[in-house]
Amino acid sequence: MLQLLELRERIKNFYQRYDAYLLPVVKFIFAFIAFQAINKEIGYDERLKSLPIILGISLLSAFTPSAVMVLLAAVISVLHVYFISPILSVMIIVILMILYLLFARYTPKYGYVLLAVPILFLLKIPYIIPILLGLISTPVAMIPTSCGVIIYFLFQIIKSAITMQVNISIEDIIQLYTHVIDSLTGNRQMIMTVVIFSLIIMVTYFIRKMSFDYAFEISILAGGLTGILGFLISYLILNQSKQILSMILGTIVSIALVYIIHFFKLTLDYSGVEYAQFEDDVYYYYVKAVPKVTVTVPQVNVKHINVKSTERREFSDPDVDEAEDYGYDE
Amino acid sequence: MLNFKKIRLMTKLAVYEKKDGKEDIYLSKYYKADYVRLQVLKSIITATIGYGLIIALIVFYRMEYLIKNAVTLDYKLLGTYVLGFHIMTITVFGLGALILYSMKYDASRKKLSRYFRLLKRLEKVYNESSHDS
Repeated sequence: MLQLLELRERIKNFYQRYDAYLLPVVKFIFAFIAFQAINKEIGYDERLKSLPIILGISLLSAFTPSAVMVLLAAVISVLHVYFISPILSVMIIVILMILYLLFARYTPKYGYVLLAVPILFLLKIPYIIPILLGLISTPVAMIPTSCGVIIYFLFQIIKSAITMQVNISIEDIIQLYTHVIDSLTGNRQMIMTVVIFSLIIMVTYFIRKMSFDYAFEISILAGGLTGILGFLISYLILNQSKQILSMILGTIVSIALVYIIHFFKLTLDYSGVEYAQFEDDVYYYYVKAVPKVTVTVPQVNVKHINVKSTERREFSDPDVDEAEDYGYDE
Repeated sequence: MLNFKKIRLMTKLAVYEKKDGKEDIYLSKYYKADYVRLQVLKSIITATIGYGLIIALIVFYRMEYLIKNAVTLDYKLLGTYVLGFHIMTITVFGLGALILYSMKYDASRKKLSRYFRLLKRLEKVYNESSHDS
C-alpha cells in the first residue's frame, strides 16, 4: 500500500509539473480512440477512414477545447451516414439539433459526455460515466448522460435502417423514416438505460454527500450495484439474458476504473502549474506559479457568534513582507 | 527593485483572470436583470426552434394521414394544440432559464468580490510604493 501511495504522489507531481504537455497527449489518445471507434462502427465512407485524416483530426482536437472534438465526431458520423443515405443523415442532424437546443446547451461543461457515452458503449463499459459523474459532479449531469444514451441508440437504429433496402422513391423514404422514428420512440431498452443511468448518478451522488468514513468508496460500489441490479431487471423484462454476463463484467471493470481514477484524484483536486503574464510601470513579468503539494487537511468550519466579522483572507497575507525571507533588501 | 508583495498579488490576479475569472469578468459587464433577461430570451428562442423541429418530425411522420384527410381536418383544434404545447414549452424553459442563470450570476458575483478585494489591496501597495520613492 505504501508503495502505491508513493507512486501516487510521484504521478501527481509529474502531472502537476508537465500538465501543459500531458493534457494534449491524453486528449490526442482519447480522440484517436473515439474516431477509430466511430469508423469501426459506422465507417461507410472509405475516404474518411484513411489514417492521415484520422491522425489529422485527432491532432486538431488535441490542441482545441473539448467542444471541438465533440463537434468533429458529430460531423464525421453524419458524413459517414450521408455517404450511404442522405435522408438518414438529415434525420440525424435534426435529432441532434433537438437534443442540443432543448437540453445539451444548458450544460456546456459536460459536452464531452455526449461523445464519451456512445464511445464507451462500443467499448462495453458505459457504466463508468454515470458512476464517475455521480462522484465528481452534481445530478445535473443526468441531462448530458441521457442525451449521450439517446445518441448511442439513435446510431444503433440508423445502422439497422441502413441495411434496409434504400431506393430513392418517396414511398421508401417515408417507410424508412417511420421505421427510424418508431424504433426510437418505442425503444424500451433506451428508456430503461436512461432511467438506470440517472439512478446511478443519483445514488452515487447522494451517498458521496453523506458524512461517514469511506463515503467515496462506498458510493462507487453502490452506484455499480445499482447499475447491475437495474440492468438485470431490465434485461429480464426484455428477454435479453445473453447480455447479462457482459453487463456484469463491464460494470466490474467500470467500478475498478472509477476507483483507480478516484485513487489518483487527478480530476478532483486538479491544480497544475500556472503560467501568468503581466506588467507594471517598470517590469514585464513572466511568472510560473507552481502549487505547493500539501497533505489534505479536513476542513474546519468555525462559526463566530456575536463577533464582528473581520475581513476574511482567502489567500496568504500580502502585508507580510516576504522580501526578508528571500534575503533581499528593498 | 522587485516588490515581492506586489508580484504575489499580481500573480494571483493574473491566474484568476486567466482561468475562472474570464467568465466572471465577462458577466460583470451586465446588470443582473439584463443578463438574465437576455439568457431567458435565448432559451425561449432555442426552445421554440427545438419545438418546431419536433413538430416537423411529427408532421412528416403523419404525412400520409394528413394528406388523406387534408380537407376534413379540424385545423382550428390542431392549431390550438400546437400553440398550447408551444406556450407550455416556452414557459417551462423560460422559468428554468430564469432560475438557472440568476443562480449563475450570483455565484460569479461572489467570486468576483474576492477579486476586487485583491485589486484594492494591490492599489494600496501601489500607493505605498509611490510614496516611498
